[in-house]
Amino acid sequence: MNPVADFYRQQSRRAFLSNTGIAAGRMALATLLFPDWLKAAAPKPGCAHPPLPGLPHFAPRARRLIYLFMNGAPSQIDLWDYKPSLAPLFDTDLPDSIRQGQRLTTMTSNQKRFPIAPSIYKFARHGRCGTWVSELLPYTAQIVDDLAVIKTVHTEAINHDPAATYILTGNMVPGKPSIGAWLSYGLGSEADNLPAFVVMTPRWSAKRDAQALYQRLWGSGFLPSRHQGVALRSAGDPVLFLNNPPGVDASTRRTMLDGLAKLNGLAFEQSGDPEIRTRIAQYEMSFRMQTSIPELTDLAREPQAVLDLYGPEVTQPGTFAASALLARRLIERGVRVVQILHREWDQHDNLPRDLPLQCRDVDQACRGLILDLKQRGLLDETLVVWGGEFGRTVYCQGELSRTNYGRDHHPRCYTMWMAGAGIQPGVVYGETDDFSYNVVRDPVHIRDLNATLLHLMGIDHRRLTYSFQGLDQRLTGTEEANPVKGILA
Amino acid sequence: MTSPPDLALFFGRFHPLLVHLPIGFLLLLAALELLGRWHRFRNATLANGCILAFTVPASILAATCGWMLSLGGNYDPQFLQWHKWTGVGTAVAATLAALLYAMGQSTFYRWVLALTVAVLTVASHLGGSLTHGKDYLTRYAPGPLRALLGGEDAPRTPGPAGSQTGAVAGRRAFADVVQPILAQYCVGCHGPEKQKAKLRLDTLEGMQAGGHGPAFLAGNSAKSTLIHRMTLPLADDNHMPPDGKPQPAAEEIKLLAWWIDAGAPADRKVGELNPPPDIRRLLDSRLGAPGPVAQVVAPKPLNDVLPQIDLLADELGIAISAIAQGEPWLQANASLPGPQFGDAELARLAPLAPNLRWLDLAGTSVTDAGLSAVASMRNLVRLHLEHTAVTDAGLAQLAGLDDLAYLNLYGTAVTDAALPHLRALPRLRQLYLWQTQVTPEAARAFAEERLDKAELQGWKAEIEQLQARIRGRQFTVEFGATNLTVSPTKVVDPL
Repeated sequence: MNPVADFYRQQSRRAFLSNTGIAAGRMALATLLFPDWLKAAAPKPGCAHPPLPGLPHFAPRARRLIYLFMNGAPSQIDLWDYKPSLAPLFDTDLPDSIRQGQRLTTMTSNQKRFPIAPSIYKFARHGRCGTWVSELLPYTAQIVDDLAVIKTVHTEAINHDPAATYILTGNMVPGKPSIGAWLSYGLGSEADNLPAFVVMTPRWSAKRDAQALYQRLWGSGFLPSRHQGVALRSAGDPVLFLNNPPGVDASTRRTMLDGLAKLNGLAFEQSGDPEIRTRIAQYEMSFRMQTSIPELTDLAREPQAVLDLYGPEVTQPGTFAASALLARRLIERGVRVVQILHREWDQHDNLPRDLPLQCRDVDQACRGLILDLKQRGLLDETLVVWGGEFGRTVYCQGELSRTNYGRDHHPRCYTMWMAGAGIQPGVVYGETDDFSYNVVRDPVHIRDLNATLLHLMGIDHRRLTYSFQGLDQRLTGTEEANPVKGILA
Repeated sequence: MTSPPDLALFFGRFHPLLVHLPIGFLLLLAALELLGRWHRFRNATLANGCILAFTVPASILAATCGWMLSLGGNYDPQFLQWHKWTGVGTAVAATLAALLYAMGQSTFYRWVLALTVAVLTVASHLGGSLTHGKDYLTRYAPGPLRALLGGEDAPRTPGPAGSQTGAVAGRRAFADVVQPILAQYCVGCHGPEKQKAKLRLDTLEGMQAGGHGPAFLAGNSAKSTLIHRMTLPLADDNHMPPDGKPQPAAEEIKLLAWWIDAGAPADRKVGELNPPPDIRRLLDSRLGAPGPVAQVVAPKPLNDVLPQIDLLADELGIAISAIAQGEPWLQANASLPGPQFGDAELARLAPLAPNLRWLDLAGTSVTDAGLSAVASMRNLVRLHLEHTAVTDAGLAQLAGLDDLAYLNLYGTAVTDAALPHLRALPRLRQLYLWQTQVTPEAARAFAEERLDKAELQGWKAEIEQLQARIRGRQFTVEFGATNLTVSPTKVVDPL
């Protein structure tokens, strides 16, 4: 079946004439407004590609994004959202006036009662801004003066898969492009030998199995597939099959790729399928990555003082600390978006056993990353985001004791932080009620959060669109979303 | 001369509306007559009698209204005279042509029609010159054509900014500051070609003579008609320039007011008038930065440099892109090719120099010699020089980058001796010196010195005012024995 022939068969004379007229008019207008528009349509080989015409919409504060995604939902009550007034309410029932008949997951909806489980962790004020931070994050606590902590992020999803898909692609239903893909599509890529969007999935320490991750969390959805995130493996070779097989040297590989590109070019002329172009570009990219990836992962020239910032695990490939250091090295090499998905923050039970382990994985490296970016003058141009897909409940899931408890999923409020380019440092934004259950002041929907990310990258979230299925699709969807002005510098 | 009756002016103002009817009719007639000479279109002239029947009253009406409008004055008398008589001539000739047509004298009719169109052309051009100014048509014509047409070979607008160099203090207050502003916004209607309200603002004498009284009161801008009219609300009937015409910026009005307050001198220099700091800043930005060499380099329109952007980005292997839609500014990232990018490559960016705002040279092989190219990028705001071979001496060349706010020097060989060079960067706010020879003490001293104390003092006063206002909002209830004071819970901390 030949799609081009099909296309021509389906065109009536009348439809062709009217469509072409409109298209020609549009092209004429577009070339008037954006003289380089036609040129932009033909991608160069390699990975670098220019921004869309007309982008950025306004001068960006951030040139790059590092997204530290804590998959599984960190407990905001045990880390950031300090609620001392809960202590005397230990094991009392959550008032109905607070829960208001809210939808619960099937993991706790059959529970007879919802006993309040105050956090067993000590909180203290840190930094000149005096932000409350739990003892589980001793290193992050040292950098609160650089962070904007948002305590009122909220979402509608109550299970991991739709919630993570929602915050990272803007919709609970799979099939939409991820944040990184949108940014690569809109702002282009500067690096010629690395992808615009790189993903890492480091290992975790909590003693249980983690929720699965899905490629769609960094996928390109309906956008051209060259914009999808490229996931580096956490163990062994970062990119599989990148090295030449035995007996094949670089020039042989080059010759083979050139021949293959010619064949692919012929196929493209026949069918016009843009995916063929993507394929050609990706072969080219892999060839370049044969040299860029080994250089990227070679830490020999990193001074010991820098390695120490990230903590003792930094030299073990596949740890969060190693990924954080790689993230810095990636953005130094022109990568636009780096996303680290650290898994298993899903403490339904045994929270006091697992949460400290999870925190230990990321805490020192988060501080290390911020300080390292700062001393290099990169924090001023890089946006760093930390957080999960939703929060955790104030009430206990399962057995509650003085020393052990678990928490279920909680979409109505949770805490994230942002730092770096364009972010007002040392602020706490929003307030939750005494049970860390409902937002009292300054709610931030995850749509608002994504609108803020785009805003800082110089994009009006309403104007970065892609026409698909009859709708001008955008990361923030069709409902209202606004950048959170209160955390902008 | 007695002023004309209002009714005459009322009808007179229909002249611009009506005048285009006979113009259209006459040109249509001429076109149809020409077309009719071609056998295939022999029927084209069938309706000409009818069209003539419209043309005659329309041209007489237009000429009458024009006459009434001319009674109001305010126009260059010589131009007006010529326009008046050619206009009347057009009406007369059109009537004559119609008569000849009615009498069946078709050959004579055609000759008279041709004559009518010729007179009409002259009359229309004169009318256009009266309304829009006599170089309206030729101002933007290509040079040789303009010379052919006899247009003045002058700069397009009396350039306010950057057209000349020279110390601001030495520039003439009236000729270099005031006149360009008036020329831009006022002289079109109050100048050599039109003198609305009998006012001319193109010369000092004209301003002193004024229309309804002098345009200014030397030494008192608040009582000067010029400033008063300009600062009225836009909706006010007396506001000048009238709603719909280009409006001067607040800064420009401020400059006019400053000159009036300084006594409205004819030929004093800016420096002699000793302008206060805010005026000084405005003057600097209009007349070019202070100092004999310094000048503001305006960015080129982005479309003009687009071909160079693509070419340079390709050849040098670097990323160059617009910073934001609708603005001329560019960012260039040369850190990706790394050491392969050196002084020679940097020098090739020269055509983009006035447009470059952000420049990333991190890890390139750029040296002190290459920084001379950076020095020509006068609009630079962010500059990455980390991990390059630049030294203290090279940084001296950065003086004059008045907008530079971000400078990254980490991982270079710079020492404490670099800091004095950086004093010349007035807007520098972020400086990165990790892994350099600069001592913490010197860096701290530099930062202290750069702290904008004056601005902080200003804020302090503002904060104190705010606190006073907050205290003013306290609410006190007297209970006799106890006195209850309710104040806002959070009081702003002082600095």
